[in-house]
Order: sequence, then C-alpha cells, then structure tokens
Amino acid sequence: MLGHMDPGATSADVHGSPAVHTIELRKAYRTTAALRGLSMTVGRGEVFGFLGPNGAGKTTAVKLLLGLVRPSGGEAMVLGAPAGDRETRRRIGYLPELFRFQSWLTAEEVLTLHCRLMQLPRARVAGAIDEVLETVGLADRRSDKVGSFSKGMQQRLGLGVALVGEPELVFLDEPTSALDPVGRHDVRGIISRIRDRGATVFLNTHLLEEAEHVCDRVTVIDHGRSVATGALPELLGGKSSVRIRVSGLNDDALRVVAGFGNLTHDGEWLTLAQIQPDQIPALVSTIVNAGGQVGAVVPEHQTLEERFLELLAKP
Amino acid sequence: MSPVVTIALLTLHEAVRRKLIAACAAITIGLVGLSAWGFDRLAHTASFTSGEVDVAIPQTLILFMFMFSFVVALSASAMASPAISAEAESGVLLSILARPVRRSDVLLGKWLGLATVLLAYAAVVSFLEFAVVDWVSGFVPPDPVVVALYLFAEGAILLTLTLMLSTRLSAIATGVVAIALFGASWLAGVVGSLGLAFKISSLTTVGNVARYILPTDGLWRGAIYYLEPQSFVVQRLTNSHDSGGNPFFAQSPPAWGYLVWVGVWFLAVLVAGIVSFDRREV
Repeated sequence: MLGHMDPGATSADVHGSPAVHTIELRKAYRTTAALRGLSMTVGRGEVFGFLGPNGAGKTTAVKLLLGLVRPSGGEAMVLGAPAGDRETRRRIGYLPELFRFQSWLTAEEVLTLHCRLMQLPRARVAGAIDEVLETVGLADRRSDKVGSFSKGMQQRLGLGVALVGEPELVFLDEPTSALDPVGRHDVRGIISRIRDRGATVFLNTHLLEEAEHVCDRVTVIDHGRSVATGALPELLGGKSSVRIRVSGLNDDALRVVAGFGNLTHDGEWLTLAQIQPDQIPALVSTIVNAGGQVGAVVPEHQTLEERFLELLAKP
Repeated sequence: MSPVVTIALLTLHEAVRRKLIAACAAITIGLVGLSAWGFDRLAHTASFTSGEVDVAIPQTLILFMFMFSFVVALSASAMASPAISAEAESGVLLSILARPVRRSDVLLGKWLGLATVLLAYAAVVSFLEFAVVDWVSGFVPPDPVVVALYLFAEGAILLTLTLMLSTRLSAIATGVVAIALFGASWLAGVVGSLGLAFKISSLTTVGNVARYILPTDGLWRGAIYYLEPQSFVVQRLTNSHDSGGNPFFAQSPPAWGYLVWVGVWFLAVLVAGIVSFDRREV
C-alpha cells in the first residue's frame, strides 16, 4: 500500500505539474463568501498543511478541488487537470471532515465498494484491502459492521478509504478530530509513510500541533483568504525568544541587553523576544562582560500556535 | 464492473441487509394467505350463483391487486425518498462522489437497484396472488404477466419522480410530496370516472389531464384491464349505466399513444433528476 515511487526521480520530474494549483479561487454562497480569492501551489510529494480557524473556508476549498462544489470564480488545477476531472479522481484519496459510511456494511465491504468505484483491477483488491486495514489498525475488525464502530474507528476506516488504491494525492480533512492521542500519533505515522512513497498529502486541520509535526509547508487561511504561506521555519520567521536568569546587571547593562530584542524582566528572569537564535551566545557574552551572573538560559522558539494567533490578529 | 452496476448492487445489498426484502416477503405471504381464505369463502359460498361468482372473483381480485399496487407505490416512494438527499446530508455521498464516477452513474445505479426490487416484488406478488386465486376458484386473469408489468411500471414511474425530487428536497419532504401526488393522481382518476358516469366534461378532463401529468393512475387502469376477463368487460359495457363511474373498471387498455407518452414522461423526469443532481453541491 505505502510502497515507493520510482526512487531515481523526484516526483516533480515524474509528473511535471504541481499537485494543486489555484488562482484567485472564489466561492460565494447566497449570504456568505466562503473563499475570497485563494491562490496557492502545492508541490508533488509534500505534506501541505491547510490551516485556519473553524469557518475559514478550508473544507470548501477541498470540496472545490474535488469538484464536489462549483467555484464562483478563479481557477483550480489538481494533478495537472481541472479540479473535479473525473479521470483524475482515480488518483485522489479523500477523507471528508463530516462523513458517514453505510452502517449496514462491514469495514471490508466498504473498502471493496471503494475499490470497485475506483475500478481497481480485481486481482489487486484483496491485497489493497488487507494492506489498508493493517495500516489503519482495523485488521481485526474487518468483518464488523460499520454501525458498531466508535467514531474514532469510523475515522480510521475513513482514512483507509482515502488510502485505498495508492492515490497520488490524499486530501485529509481534519483526520484526527475523533481520535485519541494514540490514534493521532498513528495518523502522523501514516502521513509520513504516504510522503515516503512520493505521494502528496493535503492536510486540512485546525490542530496546529498536528501541522507542526508533519507538514513541510503550510498555508494559513482566514475568512476565505490566505494570510500566510511557506515552509514552517519561514512562517515562524526564524524568530525566537530567550529567558535568562541573571543577577548583578545595572541599568546601563540592561540598556545594552535590550538592543538584542524586546526586553521584559520579572525579578531575576529577563525575557528577550524577537531575537535571532544565533545571537543568543553573543547576548550571554555581553551580560557576562557587563558583570552579570548568568544562572540559566532557556531558549524558546515561537510556536506555530503563537504565529497563527499573531496572523489571525492582523487587521 | 461499471459504476452504475456497482451502485445498483449496493442498493440491492442495502435492501437485503436492512431487512426490506424480508419485511416485504413476510407481509406479502400474510396478505396472500388471507386473500386465499377470502377467495375460498367467496368461491364456495352457497348464497352466490355461479354467474355471480364469475363476476365477484375478478372484481375482488382487482381490489386485492389495487392494494398491492398501493404497496408497490408506497414502497417506491419510501425507498427512493432518502436515496439522494439523506445520503448527501449525512455525508455518505461525499466519499462516493469523490471517486471517478459521474453523478448520473449514482442516480441511475440507485434507480436500477430500487427498480429491481420493485420488479421482483410486482412479479412475486402477482404470481402468488394469481396462483392462489387459480387454486381456490380456477380463475386466471387473461394476461397475468402484463398485469405484473403494469404494476411494476406504476411503481417505476413513482420511483423516478421520487428520485428526482430527492436530488433537491429533504427525505421527508420528498416522501410527502411523492405520496401526495400519487394520491392526487388516483383521486383525479376517480373524479374522471365520475365525470364519465354523470357526463360532466370538466371532471372527465381532470381525470384525463391528471393521467398525463403523473401516469401512475393511467398505468393502474392498464393493470385493471388485463385483470378483467373479456366476458366481464362485455357485460359491463352492455350495462351502459355501469360502464363509467367505477374506478375499478377499465373498458379498454391504454392506447399506444399514451404508452409512448409514459415513456417520454419517464425519460424526461429521469433526465431532470440527473441534471438536478449534477448541479447540486454536496
């Protein structure tokens, strides 16, 4: 299931076009604008995080890319074809955010149905189902009816359905919303293995920790617009903060220290925000040379959550 | 396997798993059993002459088949009303429509699966009822296969309409509208019969127009005609006062032109359903 593509070539060489490319993609419903001109490119073989608060337009964007809803304007290409192209959907896997499978089918029957709808060669069906069930941890529940599954197990099955047939592009819309910590950890492993075989993962999530763990690049959207895009280190701006426990510094020395970043202090602890990580050794030297006694140095990186909140707070 | 066949088999699978087939079988066996007892009493009662029995048996059979036609129509509506809308609302359709299938494949597959259930029901119930009547009274309708086909066609027409409505309305609204239209169509047929009996042309027109707007009653009239022995029709026609006004009597089969219209109606509503589903956002 999670085998490798041609190891001798990059996925971009093999396919030539981005996995997803949108230009000013818009979607308006009667009273609301769900997307207000989304432009983005997702490269082949990357794990792309599509982040945003609830109601930002993430699910609408995925549905547009799959052809489940029609755009009000703009363009969208998926795997080199117009979004929604029927033949291209053969190469796409999709885990919807809110979904249900036929409760009267067993897990194995649900997967068989999707193998048939994908028109997977008959000889590959049994092997594909076994592998997917093993991957999502449902091998021992394959003959149980979906109606007897917990929400977490249904989400695992949904993930299995998205993976069946080794798709080149997998859309995962909030894949861990119903999972416990073990399940979330498993999903991160599954996403890594999808990337390892050269496929692209488009991960829709509002769980920033999830994105931080697995995504190569992210786009943050809010109110239907992209507010930031880039690799995680770029997005975080390489900025961090450092907390230092220090004694023996006079006001003059503190003024020098404040030149390294935004200084705040609380008793013995100084906090310097917006400091480049490679400036920390020079900062410590400066404090020591000024007669300060350093008891502890605690570097703190800006988390995606902090950056996310900062981005959403912009007018 | 084509997606249409895959969806049709899924629909049949659902009918079996959800015990629809078992429930239909149980109720049918019960009703046919009761009808066997009733027909036996009717055929062997001492207070009827043989001539009266010859009239009473076909007339009672028509009433029983009317009940079964009602079951076919209600089943068509009940099965089809959640077929698209409920699955779209619950999210079942999301993962299916993201596959390389046309929406028309899904709609046609559902139609095919549900129509197969209706055809099987119409065939089995007709065979059982006719066999029972033959067994207890010796009467066999002149064209039993055609009767079953008309019964199925009536259900298939309502099935097609309900599926079309289901692409836009909620399951409950679809069911209510479909049943109401079916009932109105039947009632319009009765009104048309009364118009004939009392020579009120406007009422006759209501019946005629309704048969074209929703052909379920027109097809039921076809089933009635093929349930009647020829002697029965002749006798009714000679009693001119009895030739109209009876909603359970048909003096002629549906004209070919009308059957062509039914075909056109079916295709138009099916295509409307496909277009409507195609434009629906899920």
